Amino acid sequence: MASLTLDHVTKIFDQKGLPPTLAVKDFSMRVEDGEIIGLVGSSGCGKTSTLRMIAGLESISEGTVRIGERAINELKASERNVAMAFEGYALYPPLRVSDNIAFSLLRSKVPKARAAEKVKMVAELLEITDLLDLYPPTLSGGQQQRVSLARALVRSADVFLLDEPMSQLEPHLRAKLRARIKDYLIQNKMTSVFVTHDQTEAMALADRIAVMDEGVLQQFGSPVDLKERPSNLFVAGFIGEPPMNLLEARVAVEGGAIRVVVQNEGGGQAFSLGVPSQPAAAPLQNGRRVQVGVRPHKIVVAPTGNGVVQRLTGTVVSSQWLGDQSYLGVEVGNAFLIAVADRSVRAPHDSQVVLGLPYDSLHFFDSDSGEAVLHGADLLPA
Amino acid sequence: MAYLEVRGVAKSFGKRKLLDGLSLEVEQGECVVVFGPSGCGKTVLLRIIAGVLEPDQGEVWIGGKSVADVGPEARGVAMAFQNFALYPHMDAFENIASPLRARNRPEEEVKQRVHEIASLLRIDHVLDHLPKQLSNGQKQRTSLARSLVHGPSVLMLDDPLRNVDAKIRYEMRLELPRVFRKFHSTVLYVTQDYKEALALGDRIGVLMDGHFEQVDTPVAIYGNPNNRRVASLFGDPPINLFPIRPERGSDGAVHAQIGGQRVALGPRAAELAGRDCVLGVRPEDVAFGFEPGEGGIPVELAAVTPFNVRTVTLLKASDATEILASRPEDNSLAAARGHRKGWARIDLDRALFFDAASGARL
Repeated sequence: MASLTLDHVTKIFDQKGLPPTLAVKDFSMRVEDGEIIGLVGSSGCGKTSTLRMIAGLESISEGTVRIGERAINELKASERNVAMAFEGYALYPPLRVSDNIAFSLLRSKVPKARAAEKVKMVAELLEITDLLDLYPPTLSGGQQQRVSLARALVRSADVFLLDEPMSQLEPHLRAKLRARIKDYLIQNKMTSVFVTHDQTEAMALADRIAVMDEGVLQQFGSPVDLKERPSNLFVAGFIGEPPMNLLEARVAVEGGAIRVVVQNEGGGQAFSLGVPSQPAAAPLQNGRRVQVGVRPHKIVVAPTGNGVVQRLTGTVVSSQWLGDQSYLGVEVGNAFLIAVADRSVRAPHDSQVVLGLPYDSLHFFDSDSGEAVLHGADLLPA
Repeated sequence: MAYLEVRGVAKSFGKRKLLDGLSLEVEQGECVVVFGPSGCGKTVLLRIIAGVLEPDQGEVWIGGKSVADVGPEARGVAMAFQNFALYPHMDAFENIASPLRARNRPEEEVKQRVHEIASLLRIDHVLDHLPKQLSNGQKQRTSLARSLVHGPSVLMLDDPLRNVDAKIRYEMRLELPRVFRKFHSTVLYVTQDYKEALALGDRIGVLMDGHFEQVDTPVAIYGNPNNRRVASLFGDPPINLFPIRPERGSDGAVHAQIGGQRVALGPRAAELAGRDCVLGVRPEDVAFGFEPGEGGIPVELAAVTPFNVRTVTLLKASDATEILASRPEDNSLAAARGHRKGWARIDLDRALFFDAASGARL
């Protein structure tokens, strides 16, 4: 195992007859030894190109990739000592599942008995013991993906690279396998980078997450950082399920009192938030157009105590119980807010409900640049 | 008599029996969600009700009459699919109005109906926009408005939120019930997403292998499932299933080995002594803590996986039994690495007992 460093890495695809395209722009990131990193973003954001540059499957246009202290730009994929699981599985069809998994172990001169032991262990971990004697073409997509993961995880390598490793996993296995894989990576101190379009998966597995958009790293932080301190609108909207409520607003400062006037979709005034006038609130200047972000599960339905910035009264559109949580759709002055409670909430439709917005539920972004200008958690409760 | 009745409908394709004589009743104004894994026959059922497929056996009744001899266009059934398509050259108003125009409704009525539904779906400010000027969410709302505007007697929606982005999916999920209420629509809604089924259904029909395993309210499906298959389809992470063999102790109380620990099962298990069972425990009914307590199973906290608004933990008991537990978001655990000792306590009042062989509820 080793650390991994990306130092100002850029990828330009320059194909004959086509204008050059910038896939990854000036990406820097340091992955500590044994750390699990998720690379997330929508399709085409550059996350897979980044992974492929680390693996040696794409050339690095600019910048340096280091494993430990060793620059690997010029090394062939096979010389980099990385293990990779592909989204397309890439299993050898004429080899049985067990031989597919053992292949690289035997090639790197691991004794047969030791290889068999490792195959057995990883097969149990990924629930493919019953499949070991079968051939890949007879397996379902989810099973092939588990075999592909097994083949990467049994190896010893400096860095493990996983491309959409769990996209096809059977829903009833997903939660358990995610947890087992995380446990396995941590126990074996495996430095890992995985690519996923599914932020839920990244939040579940990763120590830190790199969020990319249009080839540019937007934020690199722990799951808690990304949730509580999103650096811009893209991250705020990408992370979290249900996503953050985002509402257009304008700041009005009168006699030192700060009000953030939230607009509804039609452009009318929906409601306003009073923000305590403190040094931290300085970015909320009079007339500034901002987007107000409110995390659904931080909203307190029918608040009883203190500690909320604002109470809003709205009309319940619907209240939906999902087994282990409840979703509430509420109209406040013709703006729509989603709130999530971790209990069953009794809120009949068309009834009035009070929503409390605690400090740490609120985020303010500049409407033009999209950059975060204030996180409510930085305000001191009045 | 229910407004929409499916009576003993069977349909095979070649040797494959897709629907095996199933029945369903939907009351006027009710939304019934048909939920099941892909390939379970959901879409075939909708197509039979719409009249575009004929059943091998059985009948569909709408409004008290068999519609066996009524063509698809005369059944008063509207159907909307995963991919809504809008006419690109018409503005949102005309797109929504098109079913009314096709029925030659008077201009006054067209205006009134389009504005009514547009305001309900919060698109009244973009009615003069062409589809290309609309956001994805507004397009979705516009097409929904179009399928509802002429007041179909039965509205069938085939996984309409499957391909839309998360923000729109959640908003629409919360807004659809209001639209259904307003139009007093009789709705059959197909989905593969259990959360959508719980969120939208007045009742849910769990369709598997061509028949309904259970048709019931969301609360009953989740908390009181007929069998192990239904229990496993609802919930993420899914329900924990522990094979147990309850025994009666010298004190007369029934207990079982769970995760290598003897656990008293309480009075509900009184009749189960000596019988092979499976104990079903939802992750949110397992409490994990670092302090021992009565009835606690000693475990190792193996992994912490934050999961949307909750935190999921994988616990390993001394006999290698794995237990998934889920609690409201807990950042104090989020950065935990490495194993720690703790105790898992199962809320046995909420646990479910199944027969080990048949999977039926006991």
